[in-house]
Amino acid sequence: MLELRDLALAFAGRRVLDGLSLQVAAGETVALLGPSGEGKSSLLAVIAGLLRPQRGQVWLGGRDISRLPPEQRQLAMMFQDHALFPHLDAAANVAFGLQERGVPRAAARQRAEAALAAVGLAGRGAAACHQLSGGEQQRVALARALIGEPALFLLDEPFSSLDTHLKQQLIDDLRQRLSAMAVPTLLVTHDRHEAFALADRVAILQHGRLIQVGTPGEVLARPASAWVARFVGFDNVAADHAIPPAAFRLGDGQPLRTVKLVEPRVEGCRVVVAGDGGDWVLSLSARELATQPYPQRGGHLAVGVDRAALLRW
Amino acid sequence: MQKVLPLSDFRWLALPPLLFLLLLVGLPLSRLLYEGGLAFSPALLSDAYLQWRLGWSLLQAAATCVLTLLLGLPLAWVLAHFEFRGRALLLRVLMLPFVMPTLVAGLGVLALFGPHGVSGLNLQDTPWLLLYGNLFYNLPLLIRAAVDGFDHVPASRLMVARTLGASRWRAFWRVEWPVVRPWLASALCLIFLYCFSGFGLALLLGGQRYATVEVEIYSLVAYELNLADAGALALLMLLLGAVIALLYALIERRLARPDKRSPPLRQPVQGWPQRLLLLACLLLLALFAAAPLLAVLLRALLADAAAWRVLLQDDTLLALGNTLRFSLLALLLATALGLLHGLAAQRSAGLRALMFLPFMVSPVCVAFGLLLAYPAYSATLALLVAAYALLAYPFVAKAVVSARDALPAALPNAARTLGASPWRVFWRVSLPLMRPALRRGMAFAAATAVGEFAVSLFLSRPEWLTLTTLIYQHLGRPGAANLEAALVLSSVLLLLALLAFMAIEWPEKTHARTS
Repeated sequence: MLELRDLALAFAGRRVLDGLSLQVAAGETVALLGPSGEGKSSLLAVIAGLLRPQRGQVWLGGRDISRLPPEQRQLAMMFQDHALFPHLDAAANVAFGLQERGVPRAAARQRAEAALAAVGLAGRGAAACHQLSGGEQQRVALARALIGEPALFLLDEPFSSLDTHLKQQLIDDLRQRLSAMAVPTLLVTHDRHEAFALADRVAILQHGRLIQVGTPGEVLARPASAWVARFVGFDNVAADHAIPPAAFRLGDGQPLRTVKLVEPRVEGCRVVVAGDGGDWVLSLSARELATQPYPQRGGHLAVGVDRAALLRW
Repeated sequence: MQKVLPLSDFRWLALPPLLFLLLLVGLPLSRLLYEGGLAFSPALLSDAYLQWRLGWSLLQAAATCVLTLLLGLPLAWVLAHFEFRGRALLLRVLMLPFVMPTLVAGLGVLALFGPHGVSGLNLQDTPWLLLYGNLFYNLPLLIRAAVDGFDHVPASRLMVARTLGASRWRAFWRVEWPVVRPWLASALCLIFLYCFSGFGLALLLGGQRYATVEVEIYSLVAYELNLADAGALALLMLLLGAVIALLYALIERRLARPDKRSPPLRQPVQGWPQRLLLLACLLLLALFAAAPLLAVLLRALLADAAAWRVLLQDDTLLALGNTLRFSLLALLLATALGLLHGLAAQRSAGLRALMFLPFMVSPVCVAFGLLLAYPAYSATLALLVAAYALLAYPFVAKAVVSARDALPAALPNAARTLGASPWRVFWRVSLPLMRPALRRGMAFAAATAVGEFAVSLFLSRPEWLTLTTLIYQHLGRPGAANLEAALVLSSVLLLLALLAFMAIEWPEKTHARTS
């Protein structure tokens, strides 16, 4: 289990981490979600031992590792741009950590080739890193991280440099791998889709503090503040409540409201109507559109809100 | 990932180089300033003769800066924006003057524009001889810096500017100029410093009227034994040099950021106007960067067969052996010092500035100071080699620093999380990635040692004759035969510098290693 106790870190007077505590169980994946520049990467660097916090402790498996240098923490980390060593080929990159931990070169190389095969890169061991595609580089980095059987797995925006299609595929792949591992995993991302797709729990970071921790379902059902509600993707957020998509009622019996804007989407469309006390943004699916005339700008749409389904904080 | 603070500070590595600097620069210069300062009087500065010396030193450095900028910026613009066969090679060859010993360049200028020069134009006793020599060294430096700057403007940014209605000139002015400006500023600082504290060229090309303060200090010490005036002048040189070096370090620090750039867009040369433009640029470049060297080789080849026999004389063999021996020893010492200082200077502006101390203080002042501070060691090999290493090691240190700046922080961090200790990270990640830069730095250091002239002149003993001092001896003797012998020996020196240059610019094998 990973346990962070009251971590604090400041750069030149600017607070990056402000008394942050969090527990991640073995086998659990926690996504640390927050806007760019809110200290997410710094937190990972602190856990890895690459940055020293001004205050607080990091415990792993019942042991205080706060004073250990990075190389003795038995953790694996994946970086945003993969951080492959450009002077080494793919297999040598994967074997790097094994050699550092005393495995003879030939044996390390052999295990590296096997690890590459396990991520679908059989026979590519001799390839130079710059010859690999973005997705292949990511898989080399993954093999390199996991080959040493780490006690903790840290992922720093590992998908941000990949295109959307590839990203989804690799996220699915990674989820399967994580569930097979019995180590705590901490994923840092600013992309809520990534977080909700991979994590058992989501921790939302704002101004160096965790303002909400819970399963994706809990966070979506009970956002802790207007800021969280907006950040996790709700379109209709007021000062004290949010209207989740499921609270809208369409069709007969609902008041007619003026349509102010219609934007086509891949599936259906996005509509802005004049609601009670402000504009409402609705996403209409193709199925919903099939039951009524296609909304027109300046036209009307019958829509109401089930007040019992509102999310309040 | 955000910039990660260091866990361990490597500044303590600077201790050996700092001690070295203290012994080789600090103490000798204090001694020199003390001896000179005792007798310093403001009256010295009102002396018309010295006023002219100082004024001319500043003027020729400033004039060189203006000339390199006026000539170099358009040339760099063309080299950065057009693609043509041999472009990459040309940019590499531009580094060649940098490793040329000043004696070779000086002789080259004389062989071209001296009495009975190849060009037929005698510019002796005019300021142009020295300015031309300065341009030989510094025009390529400015062009390289400016091309680097232009290459840092992403092609997309230029395309946006052009599609938004900017003409070529407006795009240069509004998009490229702001990016290139700090690159130029840093290069101009170096150029000013080199010219201001230059010795070899001014000694050979300045003549009576257009010699610089450095030459004046040398003559005061060597011929007039006037230590007071020499010390006072050294003090002035030191202060002015320090200001410029500090400026340079500040600008360089702003430039230090990891390289992440899209390949710039270059257009092929099309049509006669562009071809003529390119041809004009290449001719201009050849006139300033290649002509003196070709003149040396030409004059040496046309020399009497008797002149070539100088190569077999005992003196020459002794000098060649000494040059190689001293250079090798100096290179070893310079590499160790450069690595230590370069690694330590990573996060310290002060240490970065100190790295340029040996460039900043003139070799003449250092050699003179060493003589004063360590009279008992004045004729020892240790002192000579240490002085060589002093002048050579900033090249290694600078290479190490810029290689470390270009190294993404994620790589060492990743290695740490994979179980490597700081020392292992250095050995397995940082050092292999720095090796090309280190090799270049070492080649520059070697070239510096091979072509060293000023310190050798001060500290050498007859049996320690080096190629440079031998050439200077031949030049000092009357007669065409001696001039020809000097030219032949200079050709040898030129070839040695060429060797160093090949070591610097030989392309590194790019395939990744297995471990």
